[in-house]
Amino acid sequence: MEGHSITKVVLLACGSFNPITNMHMRMFELARDHLEDTGQYKVVRGIISPVGDAYKKKGLIEACHRLEMTRLATESSDWVMVDSWESLQPEWVETAKVVRHHYEELLAAEQNIDDVDTIKYAKKRRIEENHHKDRDDLQLMLLCGADVLESFGIPNMWKQEDIAEIVGHHGLVCITRSNSDPHKFIHQSDLLWKYRKNIHIVREWVTNDISATHVRRSLRRGQSVRYLLPDSVIHYIKEHGLYSSESEQKNADVVLAPLQRYTGASSS
Amino acid sequence: MAARRVPLVLLACGSFNPITNQHMRLFELARDHMHSTGQYQVVGGIVSPVSDSYGKQGLVLAKHRVAMAELALQSSNWVTVDEWESQQPDWTETVVTMRYHYGRILKEYERSVGMHNNSDLSPQLKLLCGADFLDTFKIPGLWRDDHVEELVGHFGLVCVSRGELQPERAVHESDLLSYRRHNIFHVREWVKNETSATEVRRALRRGLSVKYLLPDSVIEYIHRHNLYTEDSEMRNKSAVLRPLVKQAQEPVKSLDD
Repeated sequence: MEGHSITKVVLLACGSFNPITNMHMRMFELARDHLEDTGQYKVVRGIISPVGDAYKKKGLIEACHRLEMTRLATESSDWVMVDSWESLQPEWVETAKVVRHHYEELLAAEQNIDDVDTIKYAKKRRIEENHHKDRDDLQLMLLCGADVLESFGIPNMWKQEDIAEIVGHHGLVCITRSNSDPHKFIHQSDLLWKYRKNIHIVREWVTNDISATHVRRSLRRGQSVRYLLPDSVIHYIKEHGLYSSESEQKNADVVLAPLQRYTGASSS
Repeated sequence: MAARRVPLVLLACGSFNPITNQHMRLFELARDHMHSTGQYQVVGGIVSPVSDSYGKQGLVLAKHRVAMAELALQSSNWVTVDEWESQQPDWTETVVTMRYHYGRILKEYERSVGMHNNSDLSPQLKLLCGADFLDTFKIPGLWRDDHVEELVGHFGLVCVSRGELQPERAVHESDLLSYRRHNIFHVREWVKNETSATEVRRALRRGLSVKYLLPDSVIEYIHRHNLYTEDSEMRNKSAVLRPLVKQAQEPVKSLDD
């Protein structure tokens, strides 16, 4: 039996998924291969958490559609699933809160497996205790692209303490390509540099730039998006007439929720 | 009066070792582009995997490559795979493959339309390729000059690139291609997608995931038959590519082969 223990990992991807594409799905595969290749981790689950409509991003269509498209895309995966909690919240939820929510759910599930004790009170207390005492053998990591990492630098986009919580208590898996330099970005941020051990950079040697923006543009122009996203998702889009010039104008004159919330607040 | 469109079939020759989503994207992009010119109606697409005698390193048996293409194209209602080229005893020049398919297409068209067809609206067959294809014309011994002329002059090329200017430059730098530039259609995929069969094989050798780069059914087939290992990549390692051998031996033949 090996001396070192393997940490179980759940990958969480937050984003618009407007719509989900093969590139999003690839991120999970790349992240899993990378983490397991270190010999220290076993990736047991992937969660896709589409953002709520209150995020107010330009061109963001209704959460119910984005959820269903994501569900269709994950049908062929035996480890990646969609979660609706974030999208069902009435207000926009900070990513750190989403991470926290899913981590607590994970812990609770593990507790159910560990304990024989069914007394609700004792279980609730144990959950609260574990919130402050991270388990070594189970981690939730935020999965993202280099653009999210670099968005940490955009004024009023993130609270410093949220960044600290995500990279400090949990972990970040960042998929990047040859033209961006995440290491330099980490180096230039004292906060990120402090927690660099929890930031896993996965180099995507084969550039796969299938952005949802490009997909929406092609759809508006009546061009084929076949093989960029699953057929079932394309079918859904056609069936419901999603992604037109009108839908792209949604929220055009509205300020993005995080910017609205943090602008004017004192920097921490 | 609305202009009538020329019926067009797109033919892609290649190793398809294995076929990937990116190959299938080429057809989709080409079809959209040719439609948007207002002059063409794309009526079919053909994937023609090269025969084993091509001698390229890492090439797995044609029967597998054809089977995988079939699986991948099951869900397509306009692109099919054809195994004629792969079943020929020796490697077949691209123009010979094109002549074969054009003959079939013409016969079928005449049968369905009758003999009243306006020669302006005869169906056309064009070769569908990626950006790197144009550069292969420069490789000594790989192409016969008269074949290049027939390919771009008589048939035509639909060349899909990722937004870079290299294909235009390749045309500009060749007198032959430049002369026929009106018959070379440049299609751009603005999305950078470097998924190649080479990368897919590399990932498979290393036990890494290729999900979402090719259809699940093809991935299953690959695992079931244990294709694409370190051994399979070593196949033909010291062999010379068949075209280089074959064309060095033959005297130049005329168009009326």
